[in-house]
Amino acid sequence: MYGDCYPDMETYLFYILAAVAVIGTILAITEKHPVHAIVYLVSSFFSLATIFFLLAAPLIAMFEVIIYAGAVMVLFMFVIMMLDLGRTDEAGRPVLKQWLLPILLGGIILASIGVIAAGYASAPSAPGAITVRDFALTLFRKYGVAVEIISMQLLFAVVGALYLGRRRTP
Amino acid sequence: MTTVDLWIALPLMLLAVGALLTLLVGAVTRNETVTTAIGVTVTLGAACWLLQTPPAAVAPTLGLSAAGLPRLFSVFFTLLAAGVLCLSTGYNRGRDIHGEEYPATVLFATFGMLALASATNLMTLFLGLEAMSFGFYILVAIDLKRATSGETGLKYLLPGALSTAFLAFGIALLYCVSGTLSIQGAVQFGLADGRPDPVALAGWGCLLVGVAFKLSLAPAHLWTPDVYQGAPAPVVAFLSGGSKAAAILLLLLLLPRAVDASLLRAPLWGLALLSMLVGNLAALLQNRVRRMMAYSSIAQMGYVVVALLSGTGGGYQAAAFYAMAYGVISLAAFGAISVLERQGCGETLDDYRGLGHSRPFASGVLALALFALAGIPPTVGFTGKFLIFTAAVRSGEITLAVCGILLAAISVYYYLRVVIALYGKHPGTADSSRPTLPEYLVLIVASAAIILPGLWPNELILLLSHLLP
Repeated sequence: MYGDCYPDMETYLFYILAAVAVIGTILAITEKHPVHAIVYLVSSFFSLATIFFLLAAPLIAMFEVIIYAGAVMVLFMFVIMMLDLGRTDEAGRPVLKQWLLPILLGGIILASIGVIAAGYASAPSAPGAITVRDFALTLFRKYGVAVEIISMQLLFAVVGALYLGRRRTP
Repeated sequence: MTTVDLWIALPLMLLAVGALLTLLVGAVTRNETVTTAIGVTVTLGAACWLLQTPPAAVAPTLGLSAAGLPRLFSVFFTLLAAGVLCLSTGYNRGRDIHGEEYPATVLFATFGMLALASATNLMTLFLGLEAMSFGFYILVAIDLKRATSGETGLKYLLPGALSTAFLAFGIALLYCVSGTLSIQGAVQFGLADGRPDPVALAGWGCLLVGVAFKLSLAPAHLWTPDVYQGAPAPVVAFLSGGSKAAAILLLLLLLPRAVDASLLRAPLWGLALLSMLVGNLAALLQNRVRRMMAYSSIAQMGYVVVALLSGTGGGYQAAAFYAMAYGVISLAAFGAISVLERQGCGETLDDYRGLGHSRPFASGVLALALFALAGIPPTVGFTGKFLIFTAAVRSGEITLAVCGILLAAISVYYYLRVVIALYGKHPGTADSSRPTLPEYLVLIVASAAIILPGLWPNELILLLSHLLP
């Protein structure tokens, strides 16, 4: 596929999805309303996940959806909804204008997933596709130390946040 | 995981378990002496373990290195942490800083330094550096009673996060070129074959930007004076001695293995000259001792970059020597400052006047540290500067060497200004408060470590010449 003069379907899909990811992230940064920003960020994550799938890494694609779009963003949403008490005036149903862009981005992603599912584009069959087993071995054996260091970092991020977040005496 | 893995990873595990234990014990007793004692025991234990000869150079499954240079620096980091913990008890009591979080975070930062030192791949290297920085983000702002401490923490955190992004991106670019994360492989690629690879060069550039922040090299130095002024003094000792030595160690792990480090000559040259200029000239104008020390640290790191730049002529050894020498001097200087501040000394130069008469011990140690920073023999600072400028001349960096020596001569002025203030004629208030026993101990050991390798530097230099090209 690399020698062809005409780029194939995967390449087109990659550029489209990459554009969606970048646009989604930019909108997430510029959006004033935090909940809308999260919607854009989730759409960006979904397009990234599809790109990972195209790169023959279905496992990473699943992780992207489950961990980032699922767990992390839901956590963000909870925190925002817990803290966002005083702005009842904006809590109404979103108007069509606000719906339009997320629907467009989501539609593009859905369409590309549809194209992949219909078999027009498939993940290039890399020699020795990575299984869960390979992934786990690499992560916990080769980079086992890194995982442990990260877990310590997360622990101390919590410790530091709890300590520094204490009420300061004036 | 084999026994050899366990053997090599034990110091790291000791520190991690020690940090967790401190948190748990602190939740039960709330007694700072106990938690600090655990911290000191753990760090000293790790240092003792590191002094043994390891069964292998690299842990077979974990991929942690136990080579000479990492172990030497690991011993240095653990001893420094032990010294900082000893200094902190009295200071924190005076400043009303409570909680088991302090010793636990010191142990965690040390854990990060050791992880960085024993890294064989760029991932562990990066994560170790970040773990250390994480610890310092917390420690710098740990004084909740001071109004400025939050500001100090933010001023360290925000540029720190930016530099982390640069480091991660640089590592990603090197990985992109070489296809491997192992330090040996990633660093040799890109600069090797005739024409430099632009992506690899960009990677090195991002890496240098990130490290320049950690080393507080000009123009990435702006956080330094504020952090040195606002953070608790023992934390500054640890930051100045430990985190900078760690950043130098990072460069020492990467640069000697790069096939052709001369492509980095131009950026390093600029960083060195600018840091020496900005640091020394700005320090001349400071009226507060801690800010003066901050700018002096920028200048001192400039000298280290001169050494790194002239690596082939013995510069790497000089850089390693000076990294440790500067760590010991920082411990002595900020240890003395923390003792003086605990006894009620202010932060401007005027507050230090006459302290040499009323508080002779701490003032004496501070004066010794300042002499060492100024590079006056027979201190370790003189030996370090001598090694650096010899290496620079030997590898043809005459301009930098001349500039460095001239600026070092200028720097004597602002260091001695503090010494003169300390011992000048001034009706010093008679004071009966004395340093505590741990403070005495740490300051005596640090002073000995300033003078003894200055008098007999041969052993350390020989050791370093075995460990570094």
